[in-house]
Amino acid sequence: MEPRIGVFICDCGGSIKNIDFSLAGKKVAKSSNVAFVDLSSDLCLKEGKEKMSSSLRAKNIDRVVVAACSPESKRYVFQQVLEGAGLNGHLLSVVNIREQCSWAHGGDVTEKALQLIQMGVNRARLLKPIEKKEVPLNKEVLVVGGGFSGMSSAIQLSRLGLRTILLERESALGGRNRDLEDLYGLKTNSMIKGIEGDKNIEVFTSSEVVRVEGRVGDFTVKIRKGTEELSRVFGGIVFATGYETGGDSQFKSSAHITSPNGLAHMLQASNLARKPRTVGFVFDSSDENSRLPAMATLNTALAAKQKWGGEVYVFCKNVKVDGEGLESLYSEARECGVVFVKFEEKPNISAQDGRVKIEARDVLLGENTTLNCDLLVAEEKFSPSQGTGTLSSLLNVRTDSRGFYQDENVHLYPVASERKGIFFVGDCRGDSGPRRVVTDVSSVVTSLYELLGPGKIVVERDRVKVDPQKCRTCLTCVRACPHSAVGLTRIDNGREVAEIWDLACDGCGICTAICPAKAIEFEGYSDQQILAQIEAIGVS
Amino acid sequence: MIIAERKPMEEIKQVIAPYKKVLLAGCGTCVTVCWSGGEKEVGILASQLRLARGTEGKDHAILEATVERQCEKEMAEELRSKVAEVDAVLSLACGIGVQTMAEIFEEKPIFPALNTTFLGMPEKEGVWVEMCGACGDCFLDRTGSVCPIVRCAKGLLNGPCGGTRKGGKCEIDPQKDCAWVLIYRRLEKQGRLDLMQKYYPPKNFRAVKRPGKIQAIKA
Amino acid sequence: MAFCCEHSAYSAADLAGRLALHCPENLRVIPVPCAGRVDTLHILKAFEKGAAAVLVLGCEEGACHHLTGNTRAKERVKHSEVLLKEIGGNGRYVAMSNLSPNAPHKFVKIIDEMNEKIKKSGEVR
Repeated sequence: MEPRIGVFICDCGGSIKNIDFSLAGKKVAKSSNVAFVDLSSDLCLKEGKEKMSSSLRAKNIDRVVVAACSPESKRYVFQQVLEGAGLNGHLLSVVNIREQCSWAHGGDVTEKALQLIQMGVNRARLLKPIEKKEVPLNKEVLVVGGGFSGMSSAIQLSRLGLRTILLERESALGGRNRDLEDLYGLKTNSMIKGIEGDKNIEVFTSSEVVRVEGRVGDFTVKIRKGTEELSRVFGGIVFATGYETGGDSQFKSSAHITSPNGLAHMLQASNLARKPRTVGFVFDSSDENSRLPAMATLNTALAAKQKWGGEVYVFCKNVKVDGEGLESLYSEARECGVVFVKFEEKPNISAQDGRVKIEARDVLLGENTTLNCDLLVAEEKFSPSQGTGTLSSLLNVRTDSRGFYQDENVHLYPVASERKGIFFVGDCRGDSGPRRVVTDVSSVVTSLYELLGPGKIVVERDRVKVDPQKCRTCLTCVRACPHSAVGLTRIDNGREVAEIWDLACDGCGICTAICPAKAIEFEGYSDQQILAQIEAIGVS
Repeated sequence: MIIAERKPMEEIKQVIAPYKKVLLAGCGTCVTVCWSGGEKEVGILASQLRLARGTEGKDHAILEATVERQCEKEMAEELRSKVAEVDAVLSLACGIGVQTMAEIFEEKPIFPALNTTFLGMPEKEGVWVEMCGACGDCFLDRTGSVCPIVRCAKGLLNGPCGGTRKGGKCEIDPQKDCAWVLIYRRLEKQGRLDLMQKYYPPKNFRAVKRPGKIQAIKA
Repeated sequence: MAFCCEHSAYSAADLAGRLALHCPENLRVIPVPCAGRVDTLHILKAFEKGAAAVLVLGCEEGACHHLTGNTRAKERVKHSEVLLKEIGGNGRYVAMSNLSPNAPHKFVKIIDEMNEKIKKSGEVR
């Protein structure tokens, strides 16, 4: 049966002045399959919509072209009109004759508008309906990492009624900051107690993720718990695997030399033999991109001054404070009496009479400065948690230039990843810090609650679909999909072919373009639909 | 699978030059998977030829059709009506497909658009490497399943040539791995390094009498 | 003919119109969900149907909404250039450009520059 296309042209309340609408209307009506053409001034307003709706029914129209403003403004309005008139909302082609035609050029643009409308008609002719379906979602969440971020996530998810499994690689919860509760005010111990009593949180210690398969709402995760292996299904996964410090320092740790992390532990210790009276920090900020070293240095310098009194000097090349809470931390440290000495050339560090001597040229004073200190705090390296590389390839998720999770891609901020349903929160993302973590955890929890809370979701079915007869199972699409939304399925004769998971698909079309067998169809942007638009430019 | 590559454009243009109407016939199996002769590549080549001929001012037609497997007579047969319309066929299948087409459509010139290059597999997206030489006398059991006949540039049977470069790369082509380094490492992992000390006499390349023919059991 | 990614170039084009920044009238835009949707075949077909130049416009490098789309598009555009050169070039221009959705001036600049190129080669279609 031939399609009956209805073309609705609107002059947007008269704001489109350089198109000859009656001429356009007449010419469009001559196009094949165009059963009805209407001109309007207010298609998106109540009257215009009602008129359109009744025309759709009266003229038995089954494909619609709207030539008006940009689809980015009013597409949904017209989609609703179609649905209200009993038509599938997808059978609509919106042609932009305003922002990209009338307003983009001076003079009469009727000829261009006609071509654009013809492009829309050609596309509309080939549109197929897209049905919606309801898909059940597993509501359980896996939180990987039992440190502050992981525990906060589990606790907040529990409050919203979502059950979680909290996975921790070590034998106990708490993470890196477990012993530093007082220093950072993180209340780790009360969190652990709370989790123990929480019916919604199941804790697996000495456990690791072995494999993740599937997609959002239906992730099958193989977990190694102690010595046994088990498989569980989750709706979403949160990774809060943190970072680690150490390695690569030019100084050996001793009674007089430590790192910010080491200093933090010293500050917590109750049995310190003798409080260092002079503490010197050397901060070179060799890693240009990370703010973690600055955060650690400022936090511990301030804490040392507050707890031990005495003198605290920070020799630094530069302290970049463009991170959450860093600027106020810096001000606080200075107000408290921490002295900052700026150098250009690396300071000379040597041992002298059982103490450590730092010699540097103070750039601001233009003089050489020498400090004999009881304790030297040297910078330490921050790196992603051990196993990050393995885990990221397991998950098919990218890491950034320093190896931390979540590319610097702005579209994924603050906590999402390229795979729907998988989130990264906390220090495993590199630049975090306690204040930001709190907001990010809320972000993850809200996203997960929105997604999984209802236990089901309505999704467009087969918007991008693999034709199993044409599929050569070459695995190109499986490997190319940036959202890991393509899997394999068996068809009737037992052969395996590619299958796109509607829920995980983000509609980019990369698979469609790359499939060497042209076996994938993307409804709305199919090869035929694109070529049909190209066809129209040859018409004059 | 069979890996093939499109011929240089000049060669293709030259061979179809005398013909007004040409059918570009693609194959949906090996050459589709290695991105050289499937429906997509047929479309691209056809587009190029139409643009080229358009500029050259000749009045020709380029038709397109792809079948599942050109080396199966029944499937190639599906193109009969289209072949009847044209003066020549440019096949984007491997050499086998081209010859099958020629056997069925004997009076019509069938030309190859591809050079069939080797038997191989995908190394990563868009990259295919040679793995097997179809020698008919497979001895992968002795080399830890790395074939030195095709993966060693010199086809050596008894260990590396002594010219292996740093990083285990081949003396002849530094972009490629030295096959014997791969063999050594593989045997090492399997605890079978004793095989490296065995001597193998020259290979019998007549194990398959060419042209090859195999009769499977009569069912 | 410009294939415009809906996450970047299409929005930039709309914004240009709203700001009344004029661009050449011989522009025809086809929206795509990602520059990575554009295939070599689409580019060649556009020339077959009479386009003098084809542009593929996507997100800024490193900021593709779908991570690899704009990189793939770039490779395909390069490949198209090779294919066009094989049959003589003849004033058919294809190019890839990257921009943000809030860059209307850049959008217009890209179209203007391509239009100048076409005019210089003497074939305006």
